[in-house]
Amino acid sequence: MTTTTAGASARPLAGARAAQLLAARLPEAVLRREEGLGEETVVVSREHLPAAIRLLRDDADGLYTLPIMVTAVDWPDREPDMPRFDVVYQLRSMMHNDVCRLVVQVAEDDAWMPTLEGVFAGMDWHERECWDLFGIDFRGHHDLRRILLPDDWEGHPLRKDYVSFGEPVAFTHNLQWALPMAERPADMPGTYHP
Amino acid sequence: MTTVLPPPGPPGPYTSGRPPIDALPLEEAVDLVQIGANTMELNMGPQHPSTHGVLRLVLDIDGEIIKDVRPDIGFLHTGFEKSFESHTYQQCIPLTDRIDYLAPPMNNLAFALATEKLLGCEVPPRGQYIRVIMAELARIGSHLIWAGTAGIDIGAVTPFLYMWREREKILDINELVSGVRMMTSYIRVGGLMADVPDEFYGMVNDVVRTFPHFIDDYELLLTKNPIWRQRLIGVGRISADDAIAYGVTGPALRGSGVAYDLRKAQPYSSYDHFSFDVPIGGNGDVYDRYLVRMQEMRESVKIIQQAYEHLPRGPVNTLDRKVALPPRNEINTSMESLIHHFKLVTEGFRPPRGQVYSAIESPRGELGVYMVSDGGNRPYRCKWRAPSFSNLSALPHMGRNALISDAVAVVGSIDIVLGDVDR
Repeated sequence: MTTTTAGASARPLAGARAAQLLAARLPEAVLRREEGLGEETVVVSREHLPAAIRLLRDDADGLYTLPIMVTAVDWPDREPDMPRFDVVYQLRSMMHNDVCRLVVQVAEDDAWMPTLEGVFAGMDWHERECWDLFGIDFRGHHDLRRILLPDDWEGHPLRKDYVSFGEPVAFTHNLQWALPMAERPADMPGTYHP
Repeated sequence: MTTVLPPPGPPGPYTSGRPPIDALPLEEAVDLVQIGANTMELNMGPQHPSTHGVLRLVLDIDGEIIKDVRPDIGFLHTGFEKSFESHTYQQCIPLTDRIDYLAPPMNNLAFALATEKLLGCEVPPRGQYIRVIMAELARIGSHLIWAGTAGIDIGAVTPFLYMWREREKILDINELVSGVRMMTSYIRVGGLMADVPDEFYGMVNDVVRTFPHFIDDYELLLTKNPIWRQRLIGVGRISADDAIAYGVTGPALRGSGVAYDLRKAQPYSSYDHFSFDVPIGGNGDVYDRYLVRMQEMRESVKIIQQAYEHLPRGPVNTLDRKVALPPRNEINTSMESLIHHFKLVTEGFRPPRGQVYSAIESPRGELGVYMVSDGGNRPYRCKWRAPSFSNLSALPHMGRNALISDAVAVVGSIDIVLGDVDR
């Protein structure tokens, strides 16, 4: 019995096709290319994202026609000049058997993205989910409502400063967690003053 | 509504053998009926039995014809992705069971593969083969539930009882290997919970030997049944291009004629060792999705048979002691193993910084896990790319201009699991 390679090691770098296509045809969109763990990520600028996605979808070298997902990653503890959110787009090319990842970095006070529901019909729900859980505003979306949470929910739960359940145990270095709710400063995570 | 019925006859082996979608005009049913200006809003669910859980549909209807469908989801939202961030990687495995609760080993496998990709760790061949057997058994079990409940929606109650009987055998195997019938948590990061007991071989052999005959029985009850055909053929069509634009994957996409299966395209867990076919439809309607799933069960049996006959010997867990627990007897004699055991149980392992996307072919489509590690012992972010979510988003497209009773058939044919949609 031969040893198998089940992971990505046997395959070419995932996403490299998209990165090369963007670098060759739309170089102004590409801010950075990152490589790791057998996958390549392209960091694109926000204003060029729709053009980049259309290029990947329509070009014969790309044909990334299947929208996989839209999501975000929250990095609140980054350096001050680094934007807080990574908005992640993943597309699949069935023709070339590849998955590509585009990342757009947006700041907390500027957390909006252009909608892509005109490019892929399937982006509609994924963008609503990203708005619901991260509070990223998709401008131009025809129906940007909460999708998983009730309409009157407050906050965006997948942000790192949203305390979902439980609280840290109060020790001497974080005594503010021992305060009753009414006396906590308003900027503490999960605080509400009814 | 008139539907163009194809000439009766046996379907081909892996295609429905019917004309492609262009030959049958989509708008035909609507052209025959003059639509008035008045539409009514009708609420369906969330407690409707044919929504398979808690799905609410708002239908804009004109008489019997649906002008628009607006799915309202989220009733089962449990915040798994937030919970992942506060559990160590191995502690996440039991959470994943509960997402798509009809095929728990698939979820375990998706999570384990993504984590192993982060860690750069390889599972021994025996572990990979047993993973394949458990995943394909889960696929059969899931398709059985789908065919049974979708049949009930349409009025075919009898097959459900037979299908439940066969699913019982799969649950017995789950119980044998993991002690649990449904939420198995059997596939762990780095391998499996434990090797299979000796009774496993006999039980799997029993399924492999008898199950193809049971599928023949189901097909005898349904495939050529004139009522079944009249209810399904031509209903809920979606073309291949539309399905792709909506991100539809799995049997729903293959029913539209796209032969894309991640087990073939990007083989994981030794799927490249097995020979099997990818069944496709041609017309993209409910009947094609039904045929595709029936054929997929036959293909799954073929995979299980090959994996079972060529099951390698050796360990099932990775020998990397920083990932998988050491064997119990080693702990008694080796200080090193004791320390590893203690560290893994109390703290878990710490994958290097990075981000990966790893996808498997679940019974419903592409089940992807996008995982970000910040170097800690918990996932910094774990996005669950749920196939049911994307597939359900195409429901307004499929259900438009259908009859109300057809909406039930269309919702059933997408094979949603609300735990998977809402996460």
